[in-house]
Amino acid sequence: MASEMGVPPNRIPVDLDVGGNETGHIGKPIFAKWLERLGFDAQLGPFYLGFWGALSFVCAGAFTFIWLITMAAQVGYNPVAFAKYFVVLQLEPPSAQFGLAFPPLGLGGWWLIATFFLTASILAWQVRLWERAKARGLKPYLAYGFTGAVFLYLVIYVIRPMIMQDWSEAPPHGIKGLLDWTNNVSVRYGNFYYNPFHMLSIFFLLGSTLLFSMHGATVWALEKYGAHEEEAEIDEPGTGTERAQLFWRWTMGFNANAYSIHLWAFWFAWLTGVTGAIGVLLSGTLVPDWFQWAIDARINYPQLPAVPVELPPPTP
Amino acid sequence: MALDLSFSVLDGARESRVPGGRTIEEIEADFRKPGNTTFSAIFGADPFDFWLGPFYVGFWGFITIISVIIGSIFYFYGTVFQGPYSFPQNFFAGRIDPPPPEVGLGLQQAGEPGFLWQMTVLFGTIAFLGWMMREIDISKKLEMGFHVPISFAVVVSSWLTLQVIRPLALGSWSEGFVLGVMPHLDWVSNFGYRYNNFFYNPFHALGISLIFFATFLLACHGSAILSAVQTRGKNVDPEEINEFWRDVQYYSIGEAGIHRAGALAAAAGILSANLCILFSGWPVQDWVSFWDFWNSFPFWNAL
Repeated sequence: MASEMGVPPNRIPVDLDVGGNETGHIGKPIFAKWLERLGFDAQLGPFYLGFWGALSFVCAGAFTFIWLITMAAQVGYNPVAFAKYFVVLQLEPPSAQFGLAFPPLGLGGWWLIATFFLTASILAWQVRLWERAKARGLKPYLAYGFTGAVFLYLVIYVIRPMIMQDWSEAPPHGIKGLLDWTNNVSVRYGNFYYNPFHMLSIFFLLGSTLLFSMHGATVWALEKYGAHEEEAEIDEPGTGTERAQLFWRWTMGFNANAYSIHLWAFWFAWLTGVTGAIGVLLSGTLVPDWFQWAIDARINYPQLPAVPVELPPPTP
Repeated sequence: MALDLSFSVLDGARESRVPGGRTIEEIEADFRKPGNTTFSAIFGADPFDFWLGPFYVGFWGFITIISVIIGSIFYFYGTVFQGPYSFPQNFFAGRIDPPPPEVGLGLQQAGEPGFLWQMTVLFGTIAFLGWMMREIDISKKLEMGFHVPISFAVVVSSWLTLQVIRPLALGSWSEGFVLGVMPHLDWVSNFGYRYNNFFYNPFHALGISLIFFATFLLACHGSAILSAVQTRGKNVDPEEINEFWRDVQYYSIGEAGIHRAGALAAAAGILSANLCILFSGWPVQDWVSFWDFWNSFPFWNAL
């Protein structure tokens, strides 16, 4: 039974197994055959809940409830108005006058409570990723990778506002509000395109997209040779992996192998979040103006003196 | 019949696996064979069907390298040698502007403004398309599917959208983007504000979401393989990784599916980004007032 539920007999108990059956899992596997026609795995579930999963879902639920109910209050709980203005409504952080103090609920207190639950949910999910790997005796690489995204989140919502002594530095909860915050943070600090860590983060973001395009397309093109069975191909490369390696060697003079491409993948994706977080963390704390920074660093140049033009006489 | 994109592994493919793998010399001895190129399929022979070191050349490799050399000469002449600062500074600050708006879709002569831009874009486009055709040749030689050249064609379509299709749609080469390291960043920044607020462009939002999703999937895939192989060594059971994913998120797409999903997410993000560029300034002048339609639906415009 244990092996049927996918749990090896030597599993290390690191969680409370608060699921439906003796292994802490919920539900029976469901098979959706149509997924196989897309080349995808057909099995859904069973799902593992556990203490950290339960905590994460409860906190995410509390955040979602506070977020939605405070936004609904702004339109008088009118469902049609709520639907019309859903992307515009936002739960705003406390204004700058409150600093890091706890403001009245309607003036940003709900934002602080909601953000507390959102942060708790994300951190519980981080622990969950770690303990799910530990329970199987696997190295927790997924938890390592998730730290990149968590670091970016914490810098934007918690660490940088605390350094700036002001919760109003954090983004509001809301779709338009988050987009506006992103737009404004660039404008306030002299254009984020000149922020070298923003450059690096975009490099790794687009680089990750490029890497997955290359790796995914290569393996997709070689499925009939078994190249997608990567665990086997790493130890014993067969004709599929040989063709994959030759493709890139012939195309660009260099190739990864079935193992090292996943090192490239992991580090590119992880560094996207980490370099982005550093870029946000420095803005306004150490660097007030990235445009001026780029001029001082001699990678950007003040405009050349304009050709003198004759101004029209002022109108009386 | 329903759509069927499933696959099966050919007989003998799994049996070809060699513990520790073969050396690159042994592999190349099996696969470096002349013939089976696009050029030879049309003209009966391919005079460039050979390798230079690790690189395959082929007719399209010849086209590509010639275009890269000529395009690079135009590019570095315009940015570095004609730039206003020292050579290393010009590498960042040098720029090649497209022709001025009054030129429209005309072609510039040598010495006229925008000539270097038109030449660089022309040879860049030939080089990109030549590279794509060369990937098709290499795929044919290795008897692979054409998934890599198709994926590369997606990103070439971004270049074509920015530098050719949108300028044609708007009737002026001046709509193309500035070439140069820092100036092209300025162009991207200005382009967003020119259409009021690019964050409100729905295709921009979808494109960014899909590109972040591809990066997220890449982190998931890379970490799954690393944790499996570093922990289990050669005794990996792929089903164990599937079970790990079902524990965490209810569903595991599988070892073949993740490569398909990743390639598709990356391509879809880039295609959506193409639309966000193409629609800016052509049908849509202002991405803020673009959303007026949302507020004016009859069932809630009174609210």
